[in-house]
Amino acid sequence: MLQPHSGSGSGAVVAERRGFLKKVTAALTAIIGAAAAIPGLGFLAHPLRKATVWGGEEPLRVAAARDVKPGEPLRVDVVGQRRDGWLRLDRVNLGACWLVRSPEGEVRAFSTVCPHLGCGIDWDGDEKKFVCPCHGSDFDTSGRVLAGPSPRAMDELDAVIAGNDVKVRYRRFRVATSKKEPIG
Amino acid sequence: MKGGALARISDWLDSRIGHRAIIRAMLDEPVPGGARWWYVFGSVLAFLLMLQAATGILLAAFYAPSSTTAWASVAFIQDQVTLGWFVRGLHSFGASAMVILSCLHLGQTLIFGAYRAPREMNWIVGVAMLGLVLAFALTGYLLPWDQKGYWATQVATSIMGTLPVLGPAVQRLLQGGASYGNYTLTHFFALHTYILPAVIFGLLALHVYLFRRHGVTPKWNVPPDELTRKTQPFWPDQLFRDVVACGVTFLVIALLTIRSHGVELDAPADPASSYLARPEWYFLPLFELLKYFEGPLEIVGTLVIPGLAGGALVALPFLDRSPSRDPRRRMVVLGGAGAGFAGLMALGLMAVRHDRNDPGFAKQQVIAHEKAALARRLAGKGVAPEGGVAVYQNDPLYQVRSIWDDKCAGCHALSGQGGDEGPDLRDYNSRAWILGFLKNPDGPLYMGPAKLEKGMDPVEGTPEELAALTELVYSQTGAADVNAALVERGKALFSEKDCDSCHELDGTTDGPAPNLGGRGTLAYVKSIIEDAGAPRLYGKKNKMPKFAGKLTPEQIEAMAAFVIAQKP
Repeated sequence: MLQPHSGSGSGAVVAERRGFLKKVTAALTAIIGAAAAIPGLGFLAHPLRKATVWGGEEPLRVAAARDVKPGEPLRVDVVGQRRDGWLRLDRVNLGACWLVRSPEGEVRAFSTVCPHLGCGIDWDGDEKKFVCPCHGSDFDTSGRVLAGPSPRAMDELDAVIAGNDVKVRYRRFRVATSKKEPIG
Repeated sequence: MKGGALARISDWLDSRIGHRAIIRAMLDEPVPGGARWWYVFGSVLAFLLMLQAATGILLAAFYAPSSTTAWASVAFIQDQVTLGWFVRGLHSFGASAMVILSCLHLGQTLIFGAYRAPREMNWIVGVAMLGLVLAFALTGYLLPWDQKGYWATQVATSIMGTLPVLGPAVQRLLQGGASYGNYTLTHFFALHTYILPAVIFGLLALHVYLFRRHGVTPKWNVPPDELTRKTQPFWPDQLFRDVVACGVTFLVIALLTIRSHGVELDAPADPASSYLARPEWYFLPLFELLKYFEGPLEIVGTLVIPGLAGGALVALPFLDRSPSRDPRRRMVVLGGAGAGFAGLMALGLMAVRHDRNDPGFAKQQVIAHEKAALARRLAGKGVAPEGGVAVYQNDPLYQVRSIWDDKCAGCHALSGQGGDEGPDLRDYNSRAWILGFLKNPDGPLYMGPAKLEKGMDPVEGTPEELAALTELVYSQTGAADVNAALVERGKALFSEKDCDSCHELDGTTDGPAPNLGGRGTLAYVKSIIEDAGAPRLYGKKNKMPKFAGKLTPEQIEAMAAFVIAQKP
């Protein structure tokens, strides 16, 4: 009395057929789910594979060389182009740095970002040292840690004198580690 | 052992939340008369709704709803973000699939008479969900803030504004203001991603609950005992069919997306442009309907007919008084629904045919596609904070073109129609332009509009002589395809015809008329822009303003290159 579509029959054939159908249905569901989920996850993972904020990596003019005087660190903004997702900002503050002229006449640049937890480092003209106002890290004019919790020296940036200009290649680095690791 | 641990965790969870009973209750529903392919549409719609939710959430993670960021962020999704085109394409084709599946689901319900007592409320909930699907489509179309979405949605909100009594207020509320702007996008975004989803998922729960309360509506002509005998469980018999249908639907959407590399993104919305707006295909019947009702009758097309159709759909369970579910005994209902559907199809096809037979529309489509391609290419360089149409500023020609419009276009033209006070510079370096000038220096395309005092007389000569003189002047442009013999002949004619009594050819000597040495080269055009009144050029006859000092040397060079590049 078993019909091809019988639901009332509880014979072994029907049970076997249902068991097979269950497996096929579950497998199909898994395939459809994966086919939809894998591209979706690939899309979502875009920021893991590509930079979403970039630009301003080239040396950028920050000051006239004559303005950097020995014993008087000069704080300058680094202005450059930034790409932020779809957006292009042609002149935007990428960050700031301290320019220091050594007694030998060489110009060095240090990021103002404290390697401890990212606060802005100031210059103490009386004590002739760099100080971080947040947690009290002190640095000398070569960026070396004099005191406080900073795990490493101030982050030095590539600085070049091009004609009358000082140019700096601005980067950001991971904070709170002893190793100087660029971000992005 | 591990399986045992898993089973124990599952037992523990079940004792706390009772999920097994819920799953069993969901899966074990009996399907009287057995599983049918006819019943898959509702499940496919639920699947599509989840797909739309998932792709919508993904898109929202990369989209920024404001009038300055919407287009640029969508262009970034489409062309820069990994698989962005695919996710966006799935979302868009998924929307179309929802409309199609909604029609199939509605059609199946109509044919099976599943809207009849006691399922009236479920029918009404379903019709409301169809309305929501269309509302999703309408609000989503605007979000990219491209030309198509911007102009098509303008039409829709303008229609709302014409509705009696509350129309203007509703329009203003929906737009977030009197005209389109940031708040239009944030309002549409809030509707599209928060309000409509909350309502539709709520209605979906109600729809499924009511469906389970009254059960599936089997075919009309099966006796009750046969229905009972052929009953099958939802899991796996019906669910298998549902999942296959979902898989096929997904495959079609994915293949369409891959074939067209996602869905089109038009050029950024430009309120200053005149764009022939067309809605998405499922709104074309309504769009076409508007063409037949003008002036005071417009409301017939915008409100009366759609309102009556919607009302009839909602009221159908109460209007249908036929004694049986058998379609043959419900010819009025099915005939009416069929006629309504045919009417929609006919209107839609007419809209398509109108556009196909309209060369103006085809031309505009080509221009729109070119502009969209340009905008998308330029967006690769990043879009300035002004957003949208600011993308064209990335075009190197953009700046020079705006200088042209500002400083040059008042006198000169590039159209081949003649300028107002100076020569038309289109194809300025071609033999045709030079020959035309020699024949009629005061012609409308040449120095005529400048009205120079004691200008040049037309050059008289045989066509061969004119060709030789033309070639001589043409050779000054630095062109590569110069006929040297003809140039030699031209040089001879230059003195024979007394050209040299006014013009020099060495590029340095001053004279009563422009020195033609290097005429048409970048340096020569630059020197004209800098100061056309220099003694070597037009001298005292000159009427063109001096631009040295007003434009930077870079701008002058770019302008000279621009002028030389103007070819038909």
